[in-house]
Amino acid sequence: MNQANIETKSGTEPAVIVLEGVSFGYDPEHPILHDINVSIPQGQWLSIVGPNGCGKSTLVKLLNALLPKSAGLISVCGHTLQEETIQSIRQCIGMVFQNPDNQFIGQTVEEDILFGLEGLCLPYEEMKERLDYYTGKLGIDHLLSKHPGELSGGQKQRVAIASILAMKPGIVIFDEASSMLDEGSRDELMGILRDMQAEGSYTILLITHDADEILASDRVLALHGGSIAADVSPAELFRDAELLERCHLREPYTWRLARELQSRGITVDVPASEKELIDTLWPYNYSK
Amino acid sequence: MAIQLQQVSYTYADRSMWRQTALHGINLNIAKGSLTGIAGATGSGKSTLLQLFNGILKPTEGTVQVLDVTITAGEKSPKLLPLRRRVGLVFQFPEQQMFEDTVEKDICFGPLNFGFTLEEAKERARKAMTDMGLDLALLERNPFRLSGGQMRKAAIASVLAMDPDIVVLDEPTATLDPVSRAELIALLERLCREQGRTIIIVTHRMDELLPYADSWALLKGGELAFQGSGQELAADPAILERCGLTIPQSLRYWQAVSTRFGLGTEKPLLTAEALAERIAAVLEERKNAAGTEEMGSGHE
Repeated sequence: MNQANIETKSGTEPAVIVLEGVSFGYDPEHPILHDINVSIPQGQWLSIVGPNGCGKSTLVKLLNALLPKSAGLISVCGHTLQEETIQSIRQCIGMVFQNPDNQFIGQTVEEDILFGLEGLCLPYEEMKERLDYYTGKLGIDHLLSKHPGELSGGQKQRVAIASILAMKPGIVIFDEASSMLDEGSRDELMGILRDMQAEGSYTILLITHDADEILASDRVLALHGGSIAADVSPAELFRDAELLERCHLREPYTWRLARELQSRGITVDVPASEKELIDTLWPYNYSK
Repeated sequence: MAIQLQQVSYTYADRSMWRQTALHGINLNIAKGSLTGIAGATGSGKSTLLQLFNGILKPTEGTVQVLDVTITAGEKSPKLLPLRRRVGLVFQFPEQQMFEDTVEKDICFGPLNFGFTLEEAKERARKAMTDMGLDLALLERNPFRLSGGQMRKAAIASVLAMDPDIVVLDEPTATLDPVSRAELIALLERLCREQGRTIIIVTHRMDELLPYADSWALLKGGELAFQGSGQELAADPAILERCGLTIPQSLRYWQAVSTRFGLGTEKPLLTAEALAERIAAVLEERKNAAGTEEMGSGHE
């Protein structure tokens, strides 16, 4: 990656992803994405949200030229997207797809994870170390010798995530990669992403409908009908009932509960835990 | 009973080096016309269990009885066509069941195979699309040119178009946006309550199904760890943790509130709206009780 070329667009961090006037459509009459302008600084955690079919997956596929843009300018890690730079751009993006079956290559879980690492020409010890680390983190170290066909949907999703994270790409893109995970595993995954972000070397793009995942991110890009409907913080999103409605989203349970209580004249903040709610309600009960 | 499993085990690749037992000695009853949720950690056997319900998988041990068809391990199985018509299965990944070159052909495939005329099949396709909130213009689209969420809705529509008595769905709401999710659950509940269909849903988002499900089955390591009503589950949510699952927020908050205000015997309120309403009522009652002692004070 050529650091000198990275454009500084906004904020204090240099932008790793810049889209200017980007459009895409199979048919020019009916664009799927229309005039998208966005700049994503290095190290940011961005959630991409919006109703089914609004162009979320299409947007991220344009970034590494899995789909060819129809118009506009895309720049990733300082490379302006064109035929000659596709290879370099793909090397800095790791993408986990919606359906893990779309990205299995190996005959076993171990082979599958090592495939990407071999492509990076890492020394054996380094590969082994990363394999152990990420399979351990995702709780799949007991599945290394399994064929992907023997795995459940959720296990496949974990393998796909491990194989991408092990390559340590500068930009990690998850296309609803946690949709088949249970709540506990999803929390663990959020923890892994939070640790990665704390290291400062990762930019994270998450396509999601999950309120808690959105809440964990720095910034939310809401798409609607192929355009950017809002570019806000998670708190701004969850306070804006009209925007939530338009983007087919729901606020987290605790936010909803607080709002429902407020609308009934009970002043409470969004509780961090059930204990906090009870503590807030208890004195209320006597002081009024 | 719509579905009855007796001592059912299932082993993948039985009689090979790679044999792997996914289900052990399951005894399960699912009542006709009920809405049942199935939960369990990843790899606990949920998807395997569902595939026993319409004979895609046959038990390695035990007996599976679905409607009037009985499949017993080791015996020659009866004709499964009538069963397949009456039990609709929506897979975990919609790509696994779509194959035609337009959405319309895909949805019509089932009804046509079960003897409906092309006109009837097309009519059913349109109705199922509308029920799923999909634009009829998408009927002409190639299913693989749909977004992930649209494809999932189309896959569900293709099963609903067969008008099955039992609808079995494997994580139908994954990759759907929250509004579509709520609409799908509401549609399935209507099919259950108004038309008496049996609905079985595997889910990782227990929160969204808890207010509606009549009964729950929890799997742990291929064994049935719990079967009972949502109320029983609410009374002992620790069972979820023993199954490696996180207790859903709605259940945690209900438990905390009901313990604090002594509502333990009431039917659990598992939506934010219902819980807020109940809290407001409790506070009001207490305010009034306090107000009768101290007239006028406590009034804002």
